[in-house]
Amino acid sequence: MSAASIVEVVLIGFGVAVELACCVGVLVMEDAYDKLHYLGPAAIVGPFAIAVAVVVREALSQAGIKALLTAALLIVASPVLSHATARALYIRQRDHVESTSRRPG
Amino acid sequence: MNAWLIGATVLVLGLVPCAVVMLRGSVVEALVGLQMAGVLQTIVLLLLAEGFHRPPFFDLALVLALLALAGGLVFARMLERWV
Repeated sequence: MSAASIVEVVLIGFGVAVELACCVGVLVMEDAYDKLHYLGPAAIVGPFAIAVAVVVREALSQAGIKALLTAALLIVASPVLSHATARALYIRQRDHVESTSRRPG
Repeated sequence: MNAWLIGATVLVLGLVPCAVVMLRGSVVEALVGLQMAGVLQTIVLLLLAEGFHRPPFFDLALVLALLALAGGLVFARMLERWV
């Protein structure tokens, strides 16, 4: 087993472990805001580790570049999606509070 | 079966917590579960493409990452306004 193969296996294992830990975090946390925190490492650390593993094996070939591009897209998209989701949750909660405070009685 | 395919198989198990969150949580929590499932599926496609030595399959992961972003934004906007 070459050094590159060992690095690949370590990176794959690390990426998979991060993803599974984030899945458990999304499941266990009670609030949607808390669950959102676990999207960050899942969309940044895991894809980056897997993309680097692909590059270690394939170098900067077509596959390596596409893997890096996919990881980059996930890394850029994750904060945008988290912000949009948190904003939606905030607006829903604010509207709910305002509608209940306006209720006569 | 190599390390890539084993990793993909293990990651598919991660969809179970996402499904539980989507089925049992509020609508916003379900959106979080959907986004998590999108990330997981993208990585599974990356691992499968490398595990089967099919470089064109990397396009699927790339397209899924793009569509997951668009879908997530649309759902977030919809939850913000209408549902």
